[in-house]
Amino acid sequence: MKKIFLTVLFVTSSLFAALNVDTTYSTLGAVAKKIGGDNVHVVVLGSSKYDPHFIVPKPSLLSKLRRADLLIINGGGLELGWLPPLIKSANNGKIRAGAPGFLDMSHFIKMIDKPASVSRAFGDIHAQGNPHYSSDPYKVLIMAKVIARKLEQLDPAHVTEYKNNLENFLSQWNGYLKNYDAKMAECKTKKVVQYHELYNYFLRRYDITNIGNIEPLPGIAPSSKHTLQLMNAMKANGVKKILQDVYHEKRTAKFIAAKTGATVAVIPHDVGSVKGSESLEGFYNMIAQRICK
Amino acid sequence: MVKKLTFLSLFAAVSLMADSELDALKAQLQEQQKTTQKLLQKVTKLEKKQQQAQALQAKKAKEQEDASLDAAFAKDTSSSFSQTSYLPDIALILNMSAVGRNVKNSDYANFAIPGFIDAPVKPELPYNKERGFNLNYAEVAMHSMVDPYFEAFAIFHLHPAAFEIEEAYVTTTSLPAGLRVKAGKFKSAFGRINEKHQHSWHFDEQPIIYKALFGPDGISDPGLQVQWVAPTDTYIMAGIDAMQGSNTRSFGDTEINNLYVGYLKSSLDLTDNLSVLGGVSWAHGKTTEKKSSDVYGVDLTFRDQLGSYSALTWQSEYLQRNKDTNNTIVATQKQGGLYSELVYQYNNNYSAGVRYEKITKNDTDLSAYTNNGIDTSNLDKYTVMLQYKPFPFSRLRLEYSHDRTKVIAGQRKDVDTAMLTLNIAAGAHPAHAY
Ligand SMILES: [Zn+2]
Repeated sequence: MKKIFLTVLFVTSSLFAALNVDTTYSTLGAVAKKIGGDNVHVVVLGSSKYDPHFIVPKPSLLSKLRRADLLIINGGGLELGWLPPLIKSANNGKIRAGAPGFLDMSHFIKMIDKPASVSRAFGDIHAQGNPHYSSDPYKVLIMAKVIARKLEQLDPAHVTEYKNNLENFLSQWNGYLKNYDAKMAECKTKKVVQYHELYNYFLRRYDITNIGNIEPLPGIAPSSKHTLQLMNAMKANGVKKILQDVYHEKRTAKFIAAKTGATVAVIPHDVGSVKGSESLEGFYNMIAQRICK
Repeated sequence: MVKKLTFLSLFAAVSLMADSELDALKAQLQEQQKTTQKLLQKVTKLEKKQQQAQALQAKKAKEQEDASLDAAFAKDTSSSFSQTSYLPDIALILNMSAVGRNVKNSDYANFAIPGFIDAPVKPELPYNKERGFNLNYAEVAMHSMVDPYFEAFAIFHLHPAAFEIEEAYVTTTSLPAGLRVKAGKFKSAFGRINEKHQHSWHFDEQPIIYKALFGPDGISDPGLQVQWVAPTDTYIMAGIDAMQGSNTRSFGDTEINNLYVGYLKSSLDLTDNLSVLGGVSWAHGKTTEKKSSDVYGVDLTFRDQLGSYSALTWQSEYLQRNKDTNNTIVATQKQGGLYSELVYQYNNNYSAGVRYEKITKNDTDLSAYTNNGIDTSNLDKYTVMLQYKPFPFSRLRLEYSHDRTKVIAGQRKDVDTAMLTLNIAAGAHPAHAY
């Protein structure tokens, strides 16, 4: 009992790693692991099984943030609904917004779908543009470069290791992308619908058109009127693929599939969302396979 | 330079040569000269080209500069001193209700809870007081970074006939060692819900024990708070709030800052989806009679996350107050009570909850009631609610309560209340609390 208590109390992670790196989502975490290697201890705050907009702000996340040397967020407003109070209550000045230990990845990504005008009358839209850029495998290159530079800045003692890790990873990932592009060139799927605009970065990269969304407005549950309109649009455009995420209800997608003859593909939105997508390669392979199948 | 050297070396060579070879050399020289001239022409040509290119570049750069200058000139300069990007985040919260109750408004406004809220003290009823329609408040919440070291918050409550600074404080953002200091007027972190605002409670009606011991605003005072989060795998937070102690229900001696609140909170994830949060709190202050008053609290919350939008939450709290008085029969009042609530969130839109409350300890002078034949036992309350959120920022809630804690117009009276409340949050995104 005494032993258990001691392990609970002790600062276990920092005994093994130089740098505690927290990431809000798993794809960022996977890239941070590649670049940081043995010199970092990566903690992913938001489970990839849940809606990334609504991660439950469990108090246990506070103890993770409390000890972080670096917090890497997706940004673009995706964490707005859960992270700010946690940062406030974690009492860790290192990772407050604006501190060296705070990294907003969205600042390095060219955001798409920026709304011309912003009002909640249009639903819970992303005012800063679509923040779901992780679906595009090319964004991994940017993440890797930015994370490497940040780690070099925070942990100068291991600069050469971070540089080597980055170099190795970039050459490996560029090779992966070459194969990936070749595979995607043969993808037969050219038109899809999706639940929320989760996959736009991927779709745009590979010239797949999104005909519409199951949710009538961002964050608003499907309505029968909107579903009917969507089915008509699908029929008119010959859409045969419905992209469904892991966390929304699947009834509407199944209903639409039954009425239109389309198939429902459950697409991971982050590393590990679906069984078999636990690695970066596994994640992007699964997106391609399930969309193109 | 190249030119000069070539000539010199050529002439030197010539003078050393014999006459017999002069003609041959002259011919050679002529040829060399021709080559040199050709080379020279080439050099000048290249130089000219380079100059032209440079000129073109300079011209382009100038054009660009001019263009950007033109653009800058054309730009509206009326915003030179605009500070809109420094404006605080602002949220507006509106809370209103339609209420039905089996007690007349005038009687309800004078209710008593035996031993806790006794005549001539009247209950404070800022919310859902009238049968019929109520606008409870318009709340304006503001938040802004002050500088890299301070963050400022202000929450104003605008009631139909009053303006109230609910909270206004600064907190540090960059203290080392897991410390954070808050200063200003704020709600103490005592217990589970004292810190939470009315619109973020699971039920619209405040738990009886909170209402009885602290009134509708809870422990809220000017003061100073220090909180520390331990650098451990398990979440452990300890804090102390030093406050003025203006809450007359349990404290009230404000001659000097007389209220000290200490608390310890911890949370564990039992599984990936099931977590527990527990806390112990202690508030020590002085009453208006300058006597000692202590309130102890224990709280426990289990939350089982069933999906992204679905959860089961079981939250319970027990509070006990030991208060010294001038009363000759019961010098030290010992009173306590609990609430326990279960809330099931079905999906993004719907949730439902039940709550049970009971006054479990009431060791105080109740002779004013018993002498008049008023029963003071079995003080309890039952509440159910059904909630519909069409959108994350608006909420409709139907709540029904059967309240057996009240004495109204000289008699124990079960109060039945049904209310439909509407709460909306506009503006800055309100983050979800645990
Ligand atoms: Zn989104």
